[in-house]
Amino acid sequence: MTDQVVGDTGRGSRGSARLAAAEAASPSGVRTIDYTPQRFNPTPSRRYYFYMMAPSIILLAGISIYPFIWLVYMSLHTLGEAGQPDVWNDFKNFTRFATDGKFQQGWLLLIKYSAMCMVLEVGLGVFLAVILNRSKLEKFLVTLILMPMMMAPIITGLVWLFLYNGAFGWYHWLLQSIGILGATSVLGDSDIAMFGLVAVDVWQWTPLITLITLAGLKRVPQDQLEANMVDGAGPVRNFFTVAMPNIYPFLLIAVLLRFMDNFRFIDAILILTGGGPGDATNILPVYLFDVSFQYFKLGRGAAVALTLLLVTIVLGMLLVKIFEDPKRKIKVHGGDEG
Amino acid sequence: MVEVNIQNVWKYYGKTVAVKELNLKCPENSFLAILGPSGCGKSSTLRMLAGLEHISAGDIFFGDLRVNQLPPKERDIAMVFENYALYPHKTVFENMANPLRLRNVNREEIDKRVRRAAELLQIEMLLDRKPMQLSGGQKQRTAIGRAIVREPKVFLFDEPIAHLDAKLRAHMRGELKHLQRRLETTTIYVTHDQLEAMSMADNIAVMHEGVLQQFGTPSEIYNHPANEWVAGFVGEPPMNFLNCRLERGADGVVAVHPSFRLALTDAQRRLLEEKGAEAEVRLGVRPDTIAYRAGAGSGLGIAAKVFVTEPLGGDMIVEVQLGADRITVKTKIGPSANLDEPCTIAFDAARIHLFAASNGIAYF
Amino acid sequence: MASREIAQYPSASRRVFGVVTILFIAFYLLWTLLPLLIMFLSSFKDLLDAFQLPATGDWGGVATLFTFEPTTKHYENLFLELNFGTYLGNSLIASLGSAGISVVLGSMAAYSLSRLDFRGKNHLFFWIISTRMAPVVAVLVPLYAIFRSLDLIGTLPGLILAYTTFNLPFAIWILKGFFDNVPYAIEEASMCDGSTRLQALRMILPLVAPGIGAFLVLCVLFGWNDYLFSSIIGSGGAKTLPPATIGLVQPQNIQWGSIMAAGAVTTVPMLFLGVLIRRYLVAGLTMGAVRE
Repeated sequence: MTDQVVGDTGRGSRGSARLAAAEAASPSGVRTIDYTPQRFNPTPSRRYYFYMMAPSIILLAGISIYPFIWLVYMSLHTLGEAGQPDVWNDFKNFTRFATDGKFQQGWLLLIKYSAMCMVLEVGLGVFLAVILNRSKLEKFLVTLILMPMMMAPIITGLVWLFLYNGAFGWYHWLLQSIGILGATSVLGDSDIAMFGLVAVDVWQWTPLITLITLAGLKRVPQDQLEANMVDGAGPVRNFFTVAMPNIYPFLLIAVLLRFMDNFRFIDAILILTGGGPGDATNILPVYLFDVSFQYFKLGRGAAVALTLLLVTIVLGMLLVKIFEDPKRKIKVHGGDEG
Repeated sequence: MVEVNIQNVWKYYGKTVAVKELNLKCPENSFLAILGPSGCGKSSTLRMLAGLEHISAGDIFFGDLRVNQLPPKERDIAMVFENYALYPHKTVFENMANPLRLRNVNREEIDKRVRRAAELLQIEMLLDRKPMQLSGGQKQRTAIGRAIVREPKVFLFDEPIAHLDAKLRAHMRGELKHLQRRLETTTIYVTHDQLEAMSMADNIAVMHEGVLQQFGTPSEIYNHPANEWVAGFVGEPPMNFLNCRLERGADGVVAVHPSFRLALTDAQRRLLEEKGAEAEVRLGVRPDTIAYRAGAGSGLGIAAKVFVTEPLGGDMIVEVQLGADRITVKTKIGPSANLDEPCTIAFDAARIHLFAASNGIAYF
Repeated sequence: MASREIAQYPSASRRVFGVVTILFIAFYLLWTLLPLLIMFLSSFKDLLDAFQLPATGDWGGVATLFTFEPTTKHYENLFLELNFGTYLGNSLIASLGSAGISVVLGSMAAYSLSRLDFRGKNHLFFWIISTRMAPVVAVLVPLYAIFRSLDLIGTLPGLILAYTTFNLPFAIWILKGFFDNVPYAIEEASMCDGSTRLQALRMILPLVAPGIGAFLVLCVLFGWNDYLFSSIIGSGGAKTLPPATIGLVQPQNIQWGSIMAAGAVTTVPMLFLGVLIRRYLVAGLTMGAVRE
């Protein structure tokens, strides 16, 4: 008996010498092939898909890349008067942030405003969702509750302006009757105005948090709840140890979205206080609006806008990270076909 | 109606190889099963045949026609998908009529052919239902119906009955085979279930890790596996493998195991010499070729101990401890044995297989 | 599957919680609905009635909210004298037009993004959605410049395009989710049946249609409710309801009755649409991250 190896399964193999060499190294009794083909077929065209994407991408490029370049250019130049060339301004618009009290205050107020909105909306929204989730009237109540979300922010601002009015506003009367409000009106008092704005945002957007939390609660795995109950947990404990971790990612998305919307939508604030009284509610986007559209300082406005954009993009990346995380991305399978 | 010829086909997904140097021929009107575990490249092969995947390298011919560049529409194939892929918003009738409509067949002809196919598959009463209202078996019949209304050149089946329950699956095996024989169309059928492949196909291509392991008739695959992997994959319960050493004794060539010595036949000896076999081999024995008797010294040549017995009604599986190895024996039903009870077994030298220990290639 | 209801056992704390629950819901409903109610009531009140308030602390005076002679004169004023019919029409055309364009272009792009894999796809995807997240105020000036150079300021096509800037990225993002949910095998089956790629796409369109429909409504809602774009891009020839309503706020003479009527006109259709697509609302408002 020799120890020589001769192997060829013979079937469909061209060049058995090459095959034999390749097959020498197969400890588990499997035929293997260890080389790569010399010639590949040309890869097929995927133009079809790119043509379908093209219109959208061109349109979006037009409305995002050009404005961005414009913003950068404007922030770095002083515009020349009639026919004069624009002059490089040595980052003047950015360096002046250090001494621009309104800019710094704008950021602080934006954070303060957003924080108050978030805390109240999440607190109220989650509590409401938990209650509604156990209610037999859920469908009906949710329909009623989500109404404010459908309202145009500018109309919301006008309605609340009417309600807060110091002479004939019902909420003004209500607050005074309860004894919270003194002689001043809500929006006229620099100490209270911010709370007035927060109330409007809470009124309009708490339903969003509720809807999202409800969607999250429906996905809390029943078996986890049951296991926890068998382990001896009561309903409150159950909520915090089982339900909460499950709805947490949903809440995070909601909070980030609302935060970014606070950057974007200032319709209601513009009509309610316009940043006043004094600068008590002059949050950054409102300040930006004033700089660009009241004083027409386009270069300064562009610089402010860039800072706002930067923060938005960071928040957006955070958001997309959560979106993409497969553990947190929970979807109904198969669309409407169930 | 056409011969399918796969020549040196490779499939790459990015840098991952799914199919390596595949050469296969499916003769006209025959039934070819591609058998292998999941991830062996069998589905990729089928999808390349259908035109759903690009062929990275190599060529596929339908008859004399090279189909590499043809979209599915121009290949004149019909495919049945693993999850049926029925159009959920269309009725069974519309699902089945779709291929005909796309070919502008006239209305009466469509009606006639759909009804004929439905009759063949016994789903005439379901024609107005939507897929949502169908059971798994009915969905599967609809999917097959959609494939056969058109009389294509090649049928492609991608694990069509894998998701049915065991009983229905056994029933559908017979029906599918009958259907293929009646329609006389070249059929390529992908499955991971050896029972399906063995029972239905004219030829089987066994694939593993992207490589064709063996191509042959079901009997060739079962009785003459090309290598240890194929031998272990085909057959239920699977073949037993024991490490042995070949020695030349007075009585010819003997396979030596710590627990036994097994003399080989002359024919086997000649084969080994022809192939220049190594001394270290793997001995393969199918469970149903092993004789078994309970009790110490019960007469068969090799003494062993019972590990456990599993009665299956008519048959019984006995797991036997043979020195350090454990082997499976399939025998007629007998009394259950206690753990570690002594027994004797015997191998039928004419029905064993020997594989090279170094690379698993079969000597016989 | 186990039943959804988990067994509950009566206890004192549970009873207290039940009462708190009902009180909370009642309070929250009041808080949510009162502004809407006051808006509707005031739109039917003569200004003298609308400005009636009871004395501070006079709880019985709440009745004054409901004691008035209903009048439709504010609505008549809006439509007969202030041209609100035209603004309503502009709002409709602009929001519907933009929703239509966004959904058509968005479906095409979303379908491709869903079916095609290529390097840098995630970056492209993030860029698309980031165009939607950008603060409007920040890009309004350059956009105005673009629109002016295209002669689109104050025109309806301009306004449609302006709304499309925020509806389109949103459409692509959400619709991709819808297409992701349709198994590719269905298209493959269709192609094996003998369809071209385009015919295969048409085959799955009915499957995503409900989602696309609901989404179209959401786009209408976003366009309809927009103020900043329509006040700047649409100013002049393409005035929509929100800027028209703001137009009623004049320094010396805030026409509260007409404003409330205009608010009602703007809000009511959206309330109905909101109820109509309630099922898709969460997905829509969270950019598809959360689905019911």
